[in-house]
Amino acid sequence: MKMTPRAVVIGSLTILAAVVFVTIWVPWVTRQTTPSEIYRERTELEAAGRRLYIANGCVYCHTQSIRTIDWGMGAERIARVGDYIADRPILLGSSRTGPDLSQEGGEHPDDWHLAHFINPRYTRPNSIMPPFAFLGTEKIDTLTAYIQGLGMQQADRRMARQRRWKNEAVRAYEAGPEANVAWLNQHVPQGWRDLPNPYPTSPAGLARGRKLYQDFCLGCHGPVGDGVGPVQPWIYPPPLNFTVLKGRETSGGILYYQIMNGITGTAMPYFKKDLESEKIWDVGNYVAEYFIDQSDANTEPRGIDAAYEP
Amino acid sequence: MSATGKLQPEPYETARAFCITSAFWMVVATFMGLLGATELIAPDIVRIGWLHFGRIRPVHVNLVLFGFVTPGLLGAVFYFVPRLLRTELYSERLGLVTAGFWNIALVAAVSTLLAGATQGREYAEMIWPVDLLVVMVFILVFINLIMTVARRREPLLYVSVWYACAAIALTGATYVLGNVVWVPDTGSLVGIPDAILLWFYGHNIFGLLLTPLSLGVAYYVIPKACRNPLYSHTLSLVGFWSLFVVYTHIGTHHLLQVPVPTWLKVISIVDSIGMVIPVMVVLINLWYTAQGRLGEIHADVGAKFVFTGTIMYFFASIQGSMMALPQVQRVTHFNNWVVGHAHIGVLAFSGMIALGGLYFVLPRIAGRPLHSRLLADLQYWLVLLGSAGFAVVLTIVGLIQGQAWLNGETVYRVLPSLYPYYVLRASLGAILFSSAVIGFYNVFRTLYGQRGAAA
Ligand code: HEC
Ligand code: HEC
Ligand code: HEM
Repeated sequence: MKMTPRAVVIGSLTILAAVVFVTIWVPWVTRQTTPSEIYRERTELEAAGRRLYIANGCVYCHTQSIRTIDWGMGAERIARVGDYIADRPILLGSSRTGPDLSQEGGEHPDDWHLAHFINPRYTRPNSIMPPFAFLGTEKIDTLTAYIQGLGMQQADRRMARQRRWKNEAVRAYEAGPEANVAWLNQHVPQGWRDLPNPYPTSPAGLARGRKLYQDFCLGCHGPVGDGVGPVQPWIYPPPLNFTVLKGRETSGGILYYQIMNGITGTAMPYFKKDLESEKIWDVGNYVAEYFIDQSDANTEPRGIDAAYEP
Repeated sequence: MSATGKLQPEPYETARAFCITSAFWMVVATFMGLLGATELIAPDIVRIGWLHFGRIRPVHVNLVLFGFVTPGLLGAVFYFVPRLLRTELYSERLGLVTAGFWNIALVAAVSTLLAGATQGREYAEMIWPVDLLVVMVFILVFINLIMTVARRREPLLYVSVWYACAAIALTGATYVLGNVVWVPDTGSLVGIPDAILLWFYGHNIFGLLLTPLSLGVAYYVIPKACRNPLYSHTLSLVGFWSLFVVYTHIGTHHLLQVPVPTWLKVISIVDSIGMVIPVMVVLINLWYTAQGRLGEIHADVGAKFVFTGTIMYFFASIQGSMMALPQVQRVTHFNNWVVGHAHIGVLAFSGMIALGGLYFVLPRIAGRPLHSRLLADLQYWLVLLGSAGFAVVLTIVGLIQGQAWLNGETVYRVLPSLYPYYVLRASLGAILFSSAVIGFYNVFRTLYGQRGAAA
C-alpha cells in the first residue's frame, strides 16, 4: 500500500466518520426520551445550584450513577436512562472519592448540609472533602437546594418528611430539656425502650466505643458530649447535650434505636449503613458511661448470655 | 524566545519553542497534581476558593495533556518531520506564532478553570472561547505539517509522518465534536448520549492524540538511536490502520455500568480486547528493530526514555484490555485503580516518550550537547520511580476501595484505610515535581544557556 498524504489524512478521517456514525449518531437518534417514573423538572434555584456544582468540581469526587452492585446510599434505585433526560451536561462522574449523590436529596435536613459545606469535618470527622465556606451562605443555600433535589420525586418525598419533623423537633427543643427528651424518646417503639444494653461494660468495649465516637459523633456532640462541637452554630435544634438524658429513662435500647435510625428532621443522621450491630451497642454504651453517666448495660431483662462474654 | 532579533527565525525555532513549552508546563502540571494529592491528606491546608481540589484537578489533567505531553511530542515532531522529508519546515514563523497561541490557550485554560469557569465534562472542561483557541492551534499545526509534506523532497512518507499528520487532523476533528462547540454555553449534548459522546472524546484524547504522536516519536527515535532499519513496513501499516479502526470505537468501555445501549457495550468490550492487535503489532515492530541493540538505546538518554515508554505502553494497554471486562470493573470502576491506569498510560507511556523525544532532539536543535546528561539521567530515574510507584500505590488503593464497597462498606468508612497510601502518593508526587523542575532547568540551559558554558 502506498501511503500518500491523501491516503493518510483522508483515510483516517473516513474511519473516524464511520465510527462516529455508528457509535455516536445511531445512539443519538435512537435515544430514549421518556422520563422515568421518578423524574421531575428542576426548579430555577436547583438549576443555579447545579451550575455551582459544576463550577466547583464536585463531579470529580462524586458520581451520580447507581449500579446494580451498589450497597450504599441510593442503592434502592438503580439508575435508568429516563432519570437523565434533562441533564445538560450529564454528571455521571468517574470517581467515588466521596459517596454517590444520585439519591442524596432529603437524606439530611438543610442545616446538616450547611454545616457540612462550611467544613465537612464538622459533621464527618474523617472526611477529606474540601471546605466550601468560601462560597458564602447564600451560594451554599443554592447548592443545597440542588443537592436536596437529587433523586427527584423520591427526594421530594424525603424532603417533605424532613420538613414535617423539623417543625416538631424545633417545638420540642424550645419547650425545654424535659419535654425534648420526652419527645425524642416517645417515638422509639416500646420494645426498644424496654430493652437494656445486653452486653456488659468492658474496657475493650469502651475503647471501641471511644474510637467510634471520635470517628462519627465528635463534631456534633462535642469532645465531652455536651453538644457543643464545632457544628453547634450551624444546626438547629443543636446537637443533644447528653447530660440531659440522665435520670430520664434513656435505656440502651433507645440509644441503639436512635443511633441506628437517626432522628429525621434533626441533623442527627442514621448510622445503619456505617455501623454494624456490635458497634452501635459499643458507641451507645460509651455515651451512656462517659457522658450520661448512667448505663443499663447487662441488666435485666437479659435472656441467655451470648456464648462469648467475659 | 531567542533574543537574536533576526528577522528570519533560525531553523528548528518551532521545535525549540515547543520543547521549552513542554518543560515549563510540566512543572506547573506536576505542581497541581502534588497540590491535589496534598489536599486529599490535609483537606483544610488550602482555604483559597480557587485552589481547592475541585478546581485544581481539571487544571492538573488538562495541563498534563495539553501543556506537558502534547507540546513535548510536537517538539520532536517539528524536528523530525522536516528531516524525514528532506526539506525545511513550511514556516518557522507560523510555527512560532502557533507556539505563542498554544501558550496563550494554556494560560486562558488555567485561569478560567481556576476561576470555576468550566463545562464540567471530564477532559472537555474548557469553556467555549478556550475551545476555539485550542481548535485554532491544532489547525495551525496541521497547516504547517501538511504544507511541509507538500514541499517535501523525499517522495516516500515514513511512518512517523503518517502518525503525526493523522493525529493532528483526527484530534482537531474529535475536539470539535467532543466539546460540542456548536453549543457554546454548555458545550454538551443532553442525557445519556452526552456521556457516550464525552467518553468517545475522552478516550480519543489518548487514542488519537497521545498514542499516535508517541508512536510516531518512537518510530523515529528507536531506529535512529540503534542505527537499524525498521523491522517491517507491513507491520507499520497494520499497526497504523488498526489503531484508528479499533481505538476510536471503544470509548463506551468507560460506561459499562451505566444504562447505555447493550450493543454499544458489547462492541466496546470485544474490541477493547481486540486492542491487543494494534498494540502488539507496533511493539513487535519497534522491539524487533531494537533487537540486539539495547546498548545503543541505553547510551542515548532520549532513546532510553522512549524505549521505556514503549514498555509502559505494553503494560497500560494489557491492563486496559482487562479493565474492559465487566467482571473486573465490578472491583476497579469508580476508584483509584483507574487513576493508576491513567498514570501508567499518560505519564509512564506518553509522558516518558515526550521527554525522550525532547531529549533526543534537543542536542540536535540546540547545536550542542545537553547541558547535563547527569541531570537528564536523574530525571529519567525519578520519573520511572514516580510512575512505577503510582502504579503500585494507586492499584492498592483501588483494590481496597473496590473490595470494600463490594462487601457493603460505605465510602466514608473506608477513608481512614486509604490515608497511608494517599501520603505515599503525595510523596511520589513530590518526586515527580522535582523531576520536572530538574528537567526544566536542563532544557532551559541547553537551549538558552551561555554558549560554551555548558559542562
Ligand atoms: C476531594 C473530593 C470531594 C470534593 C471535591 C467534593 N466532595 Fe463531597 N464528599 C467527599 C467525601 C470524601 C465525602 C464523604 C465524607 C463526608 O460526608 O464529608 C463527601 C460527602 C458529601 C456529601 C454527603 C453525603 C452524605 O450524605 O453522607 C455531600 C452532600 C457532598 N459531599 C456534596 C458535595 C458537593 C456539592 C461538592 C461540590 C461543591 C462536593 N461534595 C465536593 C469528597 C468530595
Ligand atoms: C450532624 C450532627 C450529629 C452527629 C454527627 C451525631 N449526632 Fe446525635 N444528635 C444530633 C442532633 C441534632 C440530635 C437531636 C437534638 C434534638 O432534637 O434535640 C441528636 C440526638 C442524638 C441522640 C438522641 C438521644 C435520645 O434520647 O433520643 C443520641 C443517642 C445521639 N444523638 C447519639 C449520637 C451518636 C452515638 C453519634 C455518633 C455515632 C451521633 N449522635 C452523631 C446531631 C448529631
Ligand atoms: C489500548 C488499550 C487500552 C484499553 C483497552 C484501555 C481501557 C480503559 C478502560 C476500560 C478504562 C475505564 C476504566 C473504568 O472507568 O473503570 C480506561 C481508563 C483510562 N485510560 Fe485506558 N486503556 C488502554 C490504553 C490506554 C492508554 C495507552 C492510555 C494513555 C495514553 C490510557 C489512558 C486512560 C485514562 C487517562 C483513563 C482514565 C479515564 C477516566 O478519567 O476515568 N489508556 N482505559
